[in-house]
Amino acid sequence: MTKEPNLKEIERRAYTSYHQDGLLDIFVGVYILGFGLGVYMTIMWEFGFGVIIPGILIATVLPIWIAAKRKITMPRIGFVNFGIRGATKITAFFIGLMVVGLGAFSVFILATVQGGSRMWLDLIFQNGMLIVGFGSLAVCLLFGYSMGLKRLYAYGVLSVIALVIGHFMRIFFAYILTALGITVMVAGVALLIGFVKKYPLKGDKAIAE
Amino acid sequence: MAQLYVVQSADFTFLLHQTEMTPGNLSAHLSKLEDAGYVEVTKEFIERKPHTALALTKKGRTAFKEYRKKVKQFVEKLPE
Repeated sequence: MTKEPNLKEIERRAYTSYHQDGLLDIFVGVYILGFGLGVYMTIMWEFGFGVIIPGILIATVLPIWIAAKRKITMPRIGFVNFGIRGATKITAFFIGLMVVGLGAFSVFILATVQGGSRMWLDLIFQNGMLIVGFGSLAVCLLFGYSMGLKRLYAYGVLSVIALVIGHFMRIFFAYILTALGITVMVAGVALLIGFVKKYPLKGDKAIAE
Repeated sequence: MAQLYVVQSADFTFLLHQTEMTPGNLSAHLSKLEDAGYVEVTKEFIERKPHTALALTKKGRTAFKEYRKKVKQFVEKLPE
């Protein structure tokens, strides 16, 4: 029967198939771990590593991610250029991640340095984990929906649960970040292993066809 | 054509996975679309490996839009 092609569904499928390799998860996991490390270092050496490390990670992770896509994903499922819209989505995701991270750390450092001398800083410092948790949930829901990646919803829910528990049980922020970073990275590695098994390399002919 | 309509360009391997067609079948479809001037084939080298990028031409995009419009009209005219 003749039916109208569902372009939104086709676009969503093309987009999600390109991000089923787990590379995005691995690099997001590394990024979260970097934040955790930043907190440790800030406290250990009393220097704003929390702001420097995310900057270094953005500068290094993105080129590595692109290279990994070329080496692992493209030879297996082929190459696709999503055009401006696709590039905007992924750039927006990384910028969103950077803004949330840097915002959280700026608040963290401000609150730490000023020791809660002001009422609002004190309030932010006391509820920092809740703010970061619900901020992460909002970012994950937003990008999960716009990129069609449902697992981002799970990461958002996981983040908010971990940070809310951390807030009420008074667990050190960096421990939560480390645990979240490792979890997301492990999920990414599992996805990557599954992806490599599902799409084994067929040699250069497949690409050249 | 719908697969190429939603992206700027894609290669044969990507289309093969997305459409779940056999290589021969997809190749035949693409040849016909190329002959009709709907698909543009660009051969290039990526990291010294031959690579064929496929994209819809302006004519192809217009033809696909027209096709969608006609299917929509046809479906709307059907009795409930």
